[in-house]
Amino acid sequence: MLSIKDLYANVEEKQILKGLSLDIKPGEVHAIMGPNGAGKSTMGYVLSGRDGYEVESGSAQLNGVDLLELEAEERARAGLFLAFQYPVEIPGVSNLEFLKAAVDAQRAARGEEAVSSKDFLKMAREACKQVNLPADFLKRGVNEGFSGGEKKRNEIMQMILLQPKLCILDESDSGLDIDALQVVAEGVNSQRDGERSFIVVTHYQRLLDYIKPDYVHVLSEGRIVRSGDASLALELEEQGYAWLKEQRAADETA
Amino acid sequence: MSNWLSAAVEQAQALGEQMPAWRQASLPLLQGARWPTRKTEAWKYLPVNVWEQIKLDAPANPTPQLQAIEGVDSIDLVFVDGRLQNLPASLPAGLTITTFADADSQQAIAELFGQIKPGRHVFGLANDLLATDGLLVQVAAGAAIEQPLRIVNLVSAGEEAHTRVLVRVGAGARVSVIEESLGQGPSRNTAYAEYLLEESASLEHYRFALQGSAAVNVGGAHFKLQQQAQLNSTLVGFGSQLSRLDVDVIHAGEQANAKLNAIYLLDGKELFDLHSTIEHAVPNCTTEENVRGIVADNSRAVFNGRIHIHRNAQKTLAELNNRNLLMSDRAEIDTKPELEIYADDVRCAHGATVAAIDKKALYYMQSRGISRSQAQVMLSFGFINELVEEMPNEALADWLRPQLRERFAAMEVK
Ligand SMILES: Nc1ncnc2c1ncn2[C@@H]1O[C@H](COP(=O)(O)OP(=O)(O)O)[C@@H](O)[C@H]1O
Ligand SMILES: [Mg+2]
Repeated sequence: MLSIKDLYANVEEKQILKGLSLDIKPGEVHAIMGPNGAGKSTMGYVLSGRDGYEVESGSAQLNGVDLLELEAEERARAGLFLAFQYPVEIPGVSNLEFLKAAVDAQRAARGEEAVSSKDFLKMAREACKQVNLPADFLKRGVNEGFSGGEKKRNEIMQMILLQPKLCILDESDSGLDIDALQVVAEGVNSQRDGERSFIVVTHYQRLLDYIKPDYVHVLSEGRIVRSGDASLALELEEQGYAWLKEQRAADETA
Repeated sequence: MSNWLSAAVEQAQALGEQMPAWRQASLPLLQGARWPTRKTEAWKYLPVNVWEQIKLDAPANPTPQLQAIEGVDSIDLVFVDGRLQNLPASLPAGLTITTFADADSQQAIAELFGQIKPGRHVFGLANDLLATDGLLVQVAAGAAIEQPLRIVNLVSAGEEAHTRVLVRVGAGARVSVIEESLGQGPSRNTAYAEYLLEESASLEHYRFALQGSAAVNVGGAHFKLQQQAQLNSTLVGFGSQLSRLDVDVIHAGEQANAKLNAIYLLDGKELFDLHSTIEHAVPNCTTEENVRGIVADNSRAVFNGRIHIHRNAQKTLAELNNRNLLMSDRAEIDTKPELEIYADDVRCAHGATVAAIDKKALYYMQSRGISRSQAQVMLSFGFINELVEEMPNEALADWLRPQLRERFAAMEVK
């Protein structure tokens, strides 16, 4: 599904990703944990094609397609979805209009016709229900005045409507109370079908109780320094990241 | 002086005593007034000579037709080429509508006519003499009129038309007024409206100048707010070869609030000039004015927003903001917010900017598969749609939005 090889990337001349490699097979869920500033969000931005995030070397392929060659919108149409850590507010553009434009653009890229307004409204209302957002959120400006939790749920709703192949959830659990966390987790789990893959970036083991990962990785200073199964998350929760320093010191003396 | 103005003065002189006294008073004022030139500060950016140069050829376009607004059950009052059509047969309780010719209304007219509109507007003075058909709308104290009044000014190609509206909203009364000007062909038109909001009155006001670019028009909307009066106004202009609107708000009683939103969408060689003056004459009033425009091609927008806070107008809260989106290098914006503050305990803010598309929003939309160009269009439209969303009448916003979209789409193709 996704294959990242030895990726180096810069933000404003500063190297953030330093040899990131990751392989994800269809249907798998990979959790990525790691200290603040490790480059977790940067990974999502680089993969999704944000301006100003420059790839120095390495590769990233989604189902054999070279992502790094594509415009941001083409990456989305190829099946990549990033649920933002900080979703963007767009006053003046209604959520419904935004969602329909996105779905229609992706359909058009597949050679399919636009959905009728009526059918789309039905789909969107259904998706709202799934993430427990009142339907009148469709009328409001994109994320405009939404609470932190509502923004996160709005991201999951978009994922449900867009039916991507690979979803990157960047701290979709941060700032959520336990009920909202369950809603987000259920939304994600409802989309697990054995084909769709997920990268779940989180600081908390808690989310992984609901979304069971196949693998857990530790990202530190721009690359993956440790990988394991779900038990690694428990271990990290107990130990924190202090061991990273010791490991680094050991690496340096070696 | 201009030939047009001289003719207007002569016409009025000929009528002399036949004119009602409230109209006669404007004659000496107009005789003493100066026809604006490029050197007149308030007309600096506007080629006023277009007013006389526009060729009013034989009508090629029929009179525009009035269409109902879906979801808005309005009371329609229609001027066709300056001639007021039949008044509605029945009106809700508390609402009285009469014409300037009505014998019983002379006193009420005299109390409003030219009393709120400042005398410095030359075209306004001309309108005093030329707008022979006019409307007087009176809302009785305490009445809440649910049906909006829709006052439409239909101007046929080749015509010159002058209309005048006076509105008195009684103490504690509530009403909604939509002023709309329509017409595609070459025409010349002045349209002035004066509103008195008595104590605790509330007015929802809309003014849509959606004419074609050959329809030259000058007009004004003037408001006087007594204690605790509430004004919520939305203006929309498409511009034309000459399109000028003066808005005046006088806070004459404490705790009055004025919220003013204005939108313009300009294309081709169109001009739109909005001059607003807000007088805070008493303490404890608020003004919030947001003006946004998109200017494309060779068009030009002029905005002059003056807020005058008098010496005793303490605790005034006033905000004025003008933001513009430029769609071409040749489009031009001349914007000038003017704050004159003579009181010391006030909160005021003003700003004027050329807006740019939000890069983060652009990326966010692209990350969902929306092309960069489509995202740009959506964000540009969103920029003015924000003010449309603020219109208190949702059905009216739903009616207006597609018209703005269509207009904006036409601006896009160049
Ligand atoms: N626009 C930017 N300009 C400069 N540095 C940035 C920018 N964005 C992120 N960084 C830096 O990149 C590093 C990685 O950030 P980020 O990917 O957000 O980390 P994480 O998501 O793992 O907490 C941090 O040191 C951060 O300060
Ligand atoms: Mg992050």
